[in-house]
Amino acid sequence: MLFSSITFLYYFLPIMAALYFLSPKRFKNTALLLGSLFFYAWGEPGGVAFMGIAIVQGYLAGLIIERYRGKRAGLYISVLSAGISLSFLLYFKYTDFGIRNFNALTGSSIPLPGVSLPIGISFYTFQIISYTTDVYRGEAAQKNILDLAAYIAMFPQLVAGPIVRYTAISAALKDRRHTFEGAAEGIRRFVLGLSKKVLLADQLGELCSACLASQEKSVLLYWLYAFGVALQIYFDFSGYSDMAVGLGRIFGFWFPENFNYPFISASITEFWRRWHISLGTWFRDYVYIPLGGSRRGKKRQLCNLFAVWLLTGLWHGAEWNFVLWGLLFAVLLAAEKLWFLRVLEKSRVLSRLYVIFFVLISFLLFHAGNAEQAFGEIGGLFGAGGIPLASAEALYCLKSFAGVLLASAIGATPVACGLWNRALKQPAGRKAAGVLEPALTALLMLVITAYLVDGSFHPFLYFRF
Amino acid sequence: MDMSKKSIAVCAVFALLMGGGFLLCVFLPKEAYSDSERRRLAGRPVLSADTVQSGRFMSEFEAYATDTFPFRDAFRTVKALTADGVFKRWDNNGIYEKDGFLAAVEYPLDEDSLNRAAERFEAVCKKYRTKGAKVFLSVIPDKGCFLAKESGHLSMDYQAFEKKMADLCPFAEYIPISDLLEREDYYKTDTHWRQERIVDVANRLLQAMGAEPEEDYETHTLKRDFYGVYYGQAALPLKPDTLYYLTQDAMERCTVYDGQNQKEIAMYDLERGMGKDPYELFLSGPLSLVTIQNQAAPEEKKLVIVRDSFASGLAPLLVSGYSRITLVDIRYMHPDVLGQLVDFQSSDILFLYSTLVLNHSDTLK
Repeated sequence: MLFSSITFLYYFLPIMAALYFLSPKRFKNTALLLGSLFFYAWGEPGGVAFMGIAIVQGYLAGLIIERYRGKRAGLYISVLSAGISLSFLLYFKYTDFGIRNFNALTGSSIPLPGVSLPIGISFYTFQIISYTTDVYRGEAAQKNILDLAAYIAMFPQLVAGPIVRYTAISAALKDRRHTFEGAAEGIRRFVLGLSKKVLLADQLGELCSACLASQEKSVLLYWLYAFGVALQIYFDFSGYSDMAVGLGRIFGFWFPENFNYPFISASITEFWRRWHISLGTWFRDYVYIPLGGSRRGKKRQLCNLFAVWLLTGLWHGAEWNFVLWGLLFAVLLAAEKLWFLRVLEKSRVLSRLYVIFFVLISFLLFHAGNAEQAFGEIGGLFGAGGIPLASAEALYCLKSFAGVLLASAIGATPVACGLWNRALKQPAGRKAAGVLEPALTALLMLVITAYLVDGSFHPFLYFRF
Repeated sequence: MDMSKKSIAVCAVFALLMGGGFLLCVFLPKEAYSDSERRRLAGRPVLSADTVQSGRFMSEFEAYATDTFPFRDAFRTVKALTADGVFKRWDNNGIYEKDGFLAAVEYPLDEDSLNRAAERFEAVCKKYRTKGAKVFLSVIPDKGCFLAKESGHLSMDYQAFEKKMADLCPFAEYIPISDLLEREDYYKTDTHWRQERIVDVANRLLQAMGAEPEEDYETHTLKRDFYGVYYGQAALPLKPDTLYYLTQDAMERCTVYDGQNQKEIAMYDLERGMGKDPYELFLSGPLSLVTIQNQAAPEEKKLVIVRDSFASGLAPLLVSGYSRITLVDIRYMHPDVLGQLVDFQSSDILFLYSTLVLNHSDTLK
């Protein structure tokens, strides 16, 4: 079920909220779990049993690891549990990819099994691994399987993150407060995320579709497409994360932030501190640092960096364009670590242009169906194939989507948020906000509903992962 | 307002919207058909172990929930106004508005589609043209031809379009009509042309096909507002059109036969005019086969019009010149069966299609 759907907003959420808030305190996690399982089954009826197996595996592993913590058996169980979780992920996500490449390399023709990827498996697998690893590192294991299941299956973050570490919400799972302030904060965040998704990302998606469908390719069209893709992915994913964080607050949890205006970064290093933060920190804590991080010399650090980014690319999808996408960032990050960061620090403008340029290139790689398409699109940015600078369709797209692009460009920076916060510091601003916030919440919900009613089905891009 | 009051207000507004929305969704009666969108809305899906397991129930419920959302038309208008007023989009769902006229973005010119249409026309011609019969072709430009250039929207090269079709159909004599048309000749809210403003077009066709033109018509007004097909698609709050229709003495002596449903019908079906699509007033709307017999015609002269819906408004203006006009729509009827149903003997053939159909000719059988 999509957050940006009538079914979620006007059927699931009211029932879920009523069920949850009317439940006695000791049954709240159970209510949340039942609602989450229904939410998941709605989109993946066959996937619930599998997720249940993954949860039970994580639960049992946690208990055994805690019991044997500090002993060799604890380490073995921890590694075994992570191995089981990863093998599920490998099977569902990479079987077809592996066979396809094996066939291509060896000339054999092993039929593809056509394994379908359960929704959210990349996210909940990482949560289970982080849980068992954290238990091995000293965190108390969860004794109540329903509470652990509520953590792993919690619907706000189940299908597209952020990747919530168990340590981040273990206390709240046991005891949490529900306040109007917390709920209002959650609602504001949820509506903001929903607006990003429905009002910006989906319209940017229309721009991208129009560019792809155009029979009059031009340099301008490819640049519009590149900006459209980058901004669409940003508003789609950060919008989803905002909704997840907001829903978490409504139900009394604090989820980690996942985005922090990545497009204002002055280096790719900074970009990745601001983009998909929960994934970056996961790889840092569970792959990069265990591999030795930067403690074993420059050469080893660079090897670790490439390993992490190869895995990051593959995590996003079983296609070579994702591998190339990861490796592009590995190269850029390595260059920055070695010397380029010092160069970038000399110019605020050039450094930002450099980031935007490579982010656009990277998202063309990311968004394309395959590497060949991606290279075709990147070539198009520079007029490859003798295409004209502009075409009637490109100019029309520019005119028709100028408002959306402008709103998106402003929304991708902290300008609007800064102005709002500055206004709130004034007594008059605070007074006005008292009326404006509820009014804006209502207005945005009505406009979003209008877009949903008028529109068709717009799945989140990150559901693929 | 202090922080807690503000928070309570935000929570209350959200709860009211979500909770109220839920109650309305569940308890308000559901429409089965959308008049504005002219389509059947998704129905309540069947709940069974099979439909749930396959995921069909869920996907059908999503469509049902969206289609039957309370005040759907009002929400669609809010969306259209937001797209236009806030985001300054140049079109909404491919429809744009200029001076109260609505048109679809029709772009680019699809040469493959034109080739296909010409092939279909040639096939009809080869199979059914009888000795001595003449074949004509005329292309009706869509409203965008006149509106898009003014408004700056994407616009096909309509001259090239006509030339291409004329070149592709050397078996037919091309009769140009676009020079006689302007945007006011079309309904503001619909795709079609206005019958009361195309008498000159009908006369050009009659003259080119060797029949006598007719000028003497009486204008009648359909006593209801006409909200055309673009009105529903655009969802903008615009004024309706008024639908006029023309009569003359010869028409009253005509008999019109609906070959699809095998019954006699009226030239102007007033009952359909008061129905969901008032344009169906003309020859009872989209029928695959219609025959108009004019006993009072000056001579034994017959015409087969291979056509789309634009011809429904035009054909009544051609009856004075022909003893029999047969209208066939090869979007609904395969040309191979035409011979069994249509008498092509001594009949001239006119291929009369709008650019909207020719540019998407995969609908032609």
